[in-house]
Amino acid sequence: MEQNDDETYILLVLADSNLPTGAFVASSGLESYTTHGFLSLSPATPTSNSRTEGTLAFIRDSLHTYAYSALAFVSGAHALVAPFSLPPPLDEALASLISLDALYESMTLNHVARRASTAQGVALLALYTKAFATSASASASRPESLSVASLVDKLKLAIRRGETHGHLPLCWGVLTGALGLSLARAQHLALFLHARSLLSAAVRMNTVGPYLAQQILLRDVRPIVEGLVSQCGSLRTGTVANEHRDELGYLNGPATTWPLGEIIATRHDLQHSRMFNS
Amino acid sequence: MAAIPPRPSASNERLTVGHGRITCSLHGSSVVFSELSSTYPLKLLSPRLAVPAVAIVYVLCYGGGLVSGDRVKLKVDVEGGCKLLLLSQGSTKVFKTRSGDRASTSLRQPAHLGIPENVTTQITDVSIAPKSAVFLLPDPVTCFRSASYTQIQRFHLLGDASLVLLDWVAAGRKSLGEEWEFSRYYSVNEVFLDGRRITRDIMLLEDFSLQSQPPGSIQLHRTLKERLRPYSCYAMLVLCGPLAQEVAAQLSREYQSISIFKTSPARLVWALSPIEEGKTYVVRVAGIEIEDVKSWLRDALRGFENIIGIDTYRKAFV
Repeated sequence: MEQNDDETYILLVLADSNLPTGAFVASSGLESYTTHGFLSLSPATPTSNSRTEGTLAFIRDSLHTYAYSALAFVSGAHALVAPFSLPPPLDEALASLISLDALYESMTLNHVARRASTAQGVALLALYTKAFATSASASASRPESLSVASLVDKLKLAIRRGETHGHLPLCWGVLTGALGLSLARAQHLALFLHARSLLSAAVRMNTVGPYLAQQILLRDVRPIVEGLVSQCGSLRTGTVANEHRDELGYLNGPATTWPLGEIIATRHDLQHSRMFNS
Repeated sequence: MAAIPPRPSASNERLTVGHGRITCSLHGSSVVFSELSSTYPLKLLSPRLAVPAVAIVYVLCYGGGLVSGDRVKLKVDVEGGCKLLLLSQGSTKVFKTRSGDRASTSLRQPAHLGIPENVTTQITDVSIAPKSAVFLLPDPVTCFRSASYTQIQRFHLLGDASLVLLDWVAAGRKSLGEEWEFSRYYSVNEVFLDGRRITRDIMLLEDFSLQSQPPGSIQLHRTLKERLRPYSCYAMLVLCGPLAQEVAAQLSREYQSISIFKTSPARLVWALSPIEEGKTYVVRVAGIEIEDVKSWLRDALRGFENIIGIDTYRKAFV
């Protein structure tokens, strides 16, 4: 019961739109998609216009490829820092995080997405050390939170030295694991926040209005996010233990599912004028 | 008599069904194949070329395509400064998965236990020694309705080896009205430089909308066709190593000069990302028709004429 209350409260804190994560400047390709004219490809329905349908289509496809490509990394990082699992020695955990990060980098072959991902990942780690680490170790009878805090410090140092990147899914797994959020919650919230951030960008670009955005978040996003968590929640990177010498190692791993989205998101910087950073 | 197994190849490694090996190195200025062998349904052909240090191998399949359950495995070693061009002859067609066994196999065999028997797979491992280069410039893969295809390509580069890797997929048989109606296309392109992974591109195109959902629930995923339209051909290109730098730099200049104003979707759209501090480039292209993408690629890569020869280059993108 108490554990549930804790978890609910952490969820509320992490879902706060004032959380300083830098997501505000990211549209994850939606701005470029709009500029390229793809919104108008979705036919209007009797109840909604083409721009609304187009925005919803983007959210579906973007969430889909994000879930398939990122959740395995959330899970991998979460497992390394979550309490109740046997914590590996600090340096071993750090090395595993860095190799996960390198794998994500090698799978993210889009410099705009890489930039947005590391900016937000590093912001999450800063949030942890500046806001959450002290209270976590003080409040709970959890000696492991101390070693988690020093693991995060080491990771931040490695990023500063240019030894690793600090990608968002990985840092999200670290943050949620360190706060004691369950993996299922962490995965679900990762996708919810991705959708909410897209809708927030859509409102600022005026492709949907503010009320409609909330309606979409309440009505449409929920089944999509829940469906994707159940579809992709068990994907794993498998990087730490094996190097995929055979074809079998890939099959339960992350993948990109939307090549059009990759092209359009990469072209973000080519827009003559733009509001967002990705 | 007919039961005598095939003779082991030169490397003492018995070639099983659908396996192939290519090993080439340079003697003087001519390319010598110490191995060029394959077993059904794979077929390797190397036409004679007059250009020094350059060779072509056509990687073919009997019947021009792969049927349900075919497994092709190719191992390529390029040494001594060879420049090897790997081509196909026409689009690789992937025929539909035999009816009935997809559903039952996926039930019996969870994905982590291996690729289901009836999935068509093509696995290619390429090692490129210093100064050597591989240009993998096949025609696009075309997956027919209900086809299920897995392709895994790994490239191991050493030192100043170079790689031009093209992987592309087309929507289906346009003449039959097929547009993104295969059931699964799974393509892995992994590039290692001196043992370090620099790219692991994994594209999964699967019609998730076909998966069972509670009756009456809203559609969670859009169909493949909805996700990929208006384009019917997608290509991915990796340019890596010193021999690819000039072409990559030219493309990069062209890309930087693009400025997009509010527009409607173009016939062809492409994007370029420098990775590895600009030593490797990843290019993605989408086009309304295969021909749009093909002619764009032919122009974009024309600079390779200077490296492999005009006549050799003309054999790609025909």
